[in-house]
Amino acid sequence: MGKATIIPFGPQHPVLPEPLHLDLVVEDEKVIEAIPQIGFVHRGLEKLVETRDYNQFIYVAERICGICAFGHSYGYAETVERLMGVEVPERGQYLRVIWHELSRIHSHILWLGLAADAFGFESLFMHCWRLRERVLDIFEKTTGGRVIFSVVKVGGVVRDIDAAQMAEIIRVLEGIKQDYKQIMDAFLKDSSVMNRTVGVGYLSFEDATNLSMVGPFARASNVAYDVRSLGIGAYGTLSDFAPITDTQGDCYARMKVRALEVLQSIDIIEEMIARIPAGDIAVPVKGNPADGAEAACVVEQPRGECYYYARGNGTKNLERMRMRTPTSENLAGMVKALEGCDLADVNMIILTIDPCISCTER
Amino acid sequence: MGAFKLGKMTISGLFKQPETVQYPVQTKTPPAGLKGHVVNDVSNCILCGICQKRCPCSAIEVSKADRTWSIDRFRCIQCGSCVRECPKSCLTMEPTYAACSTAKHVDVFEVPEQQKSEEVIKTEV
Amino acid sequence: MGFATEFTTITLPELPELNRQRKAEGWRFVQLLGVNTEAGVDLIYSFMKDGLLVNSKIEGVTKDQVVPSITDNFLAAFVFENETHDLFGVNFEGIAIDFGGNFYALAQKEPMTIISPEQKAAREKARKIAEAKAAKEKAAKAGDTPAQEQPKAAPAADELEAKLAGMDPEKAAKVRAAMEAKAKKEAARKAEAANDGEGA
Repeated sequence: MGKATIIPFGPQHPVLPEPLHLDLVVEDEKVIEAIPQIGFVHRGLEKLVETRDYNQFIYVAERICGICAFGHSYGYAETVERLMGVEVPERGQYLRVIWHELSRIHSHILWLGLAADAFGFESLFMHCWRLRERVLDIFEKTTGGRVIFSVVKVGGVVRDIDAAQMAEIIRVLEGIKQDYKQIMDAFLKDSSVMNRTVGVGYLSFEDATNLSMVGPFARASNVAYDVRSLGIGAYGTLSDFAPITDTQGDCYARMKVRALEVLQSIDIIEEMIARIPAGDIAVPVKGNPADGAEAACVVEQPRGECYYYARGNGTKNLERMRMRTPTSENLAGMVKALEGCDLADVNMIILTIDPCISCTER
Repeated sequence: MGAFKLGKMTISGLFKQPETVQYPVQTKTPPAGLKGHVVNDVSNCILCGICQKRCPCSAIEVSKADRTWSIDRFRCIQCGSCVRECPKSCLTMEPTYAACSTAKHVDVFEVPEQQKSEEVIKTEV
Repeated sequence: MGFATEFTTITLPELPELNRQRKAEGWRFVQLLGVNTEAGVDLIYSFMKDGLLVNSKIEGVTKDQVVPSITDNFLAAFVFENETHDLFGVNFEGIAIDFGGNFYALAQKEPMTIISPEQKAAREKARKIAEAKAAKEKAAKAGDTPAQEQPKAAPAADELEAKLAGMDPEKAAKVRAAMEAKAKKEAARKAEAANDGEGA
């Protein structure tokens, strides 16, 4: 038994896409404790709600995160609509779900690419990002932006997708599906991938529930919780939706859950496009949120459940806007998963919780 | 279980068209709905200033006294609020990719009196 | 499984009990947030079970009050407790992973408790409008029974006062001066008309 050494890890580190710092207490090659430290990119976006009115803040909300940009604008709009009692037309709700699921596809494929990069499988990384580019092209055609869409507004959405574009989305998604299945094969069956992921960073079902974990991280430990199954908005109209779970609770299971969720999202989009009703995409919103009115809402983002809270004060600015992102909820789980792992596996474990530190700090 | 699961995709990549473009020589055709940049059809503009009020990042400045409508391209976030709120529909999003630039600049559109001239006088400040 | 939200109010001494009860009943900790108010910081603890999201609010926590940490049962809360301490200056006791105020690298202490000039102006405006409205209502109630034949000009003037209260003082003074001048002119015109009538 060697003596305990502290190895600082991050915030600038080749394997980390995010500014996360860890103090790893290491004995020989085993991590016995990990102390996380964030706070390098706090931008005070929640404070900005005081100087931007509730319609303008949607553009700030989008900029919390570059990957779940749509999710944040969707969650923000949903919360303010609850606050003001606005009912979004059905077509608007369906369109939001379509874009949201497209974001999930692009986020998960991006993450799979990063995971491949983390264990040194460069060509798999390239193939993942090549596929993701096709989803970004759909965004560019339907919303006019590749990363930040500015397509949601309080009361609905600002653009419609016409029938020709819907057919195009289906066609592109079918193409992605064909290629994606080969990539998924490589992730789930290739021995070099399995060597790095199976049995690494195990977290039991009990730990996952005790640590209040959310998203694919929790679902890989068999916690069947997915906000989409609560039926908020157009998700309530899905014919059958069951969260994808796995019982293994290791890095491989987390990868598998995300990999299968891409196919699930493609199915959801196809179902939505097949059943989308005609009609308005937005309703006009008049007036200001009432003084002291409160509303809370949750949205399933690619990384897990995101919580939104809004309080009005009778003016056009909100009194308080709060986003609790999935990563901040999962940090405790990450600390737990890191305990007892090999030093060489630290990067894999951090990556499989899909941390988004910029989201966490806002 | 097994290795080289990606073999088929990698080898077929040898015979396919590249997914990327050789940028300065070839360029990508922007899609019709692209939010490129905001332009003002000055012959319709009445300098009401609603766009300036709605802009979330104070990129637009409307001066009634000088009859100018100016936009700071480096502040604009292409959200499209001004285009949606314009009562005269004189603002549009031109679907072109932004050109590279080495210095920050503000585009000033001079709005003619009585809608006589159709010409846009563009000056760089 | 549907989704529902609920807002409840509890007091600070009830927090440890809430903590124990939620743990025993198997609720999932969702989040903790602070809202800066004039009386202090409102803390909102959210828990979720079977699609029911319950937000329990503790109103007006001041800086000298000590809030017991809930990280003994819900470790995930350490992020939020440290954050609320750094951004709002709320004192938490017994956080499992305590950063002692170094969780966020901030240029300013407790930035979320500072009221920006814009917000101050907006609040002042809202308060003035509300006051003027209340005064108007009071006047309307008082004036309801004794003087029903009061001219319509009075409520109009009240409305104007309410509007003026919302404006910035310089502008309001200008409008008031203009109104006075107008009233004077009107009176002069009326007097002249009366004189003319007498003359004829």
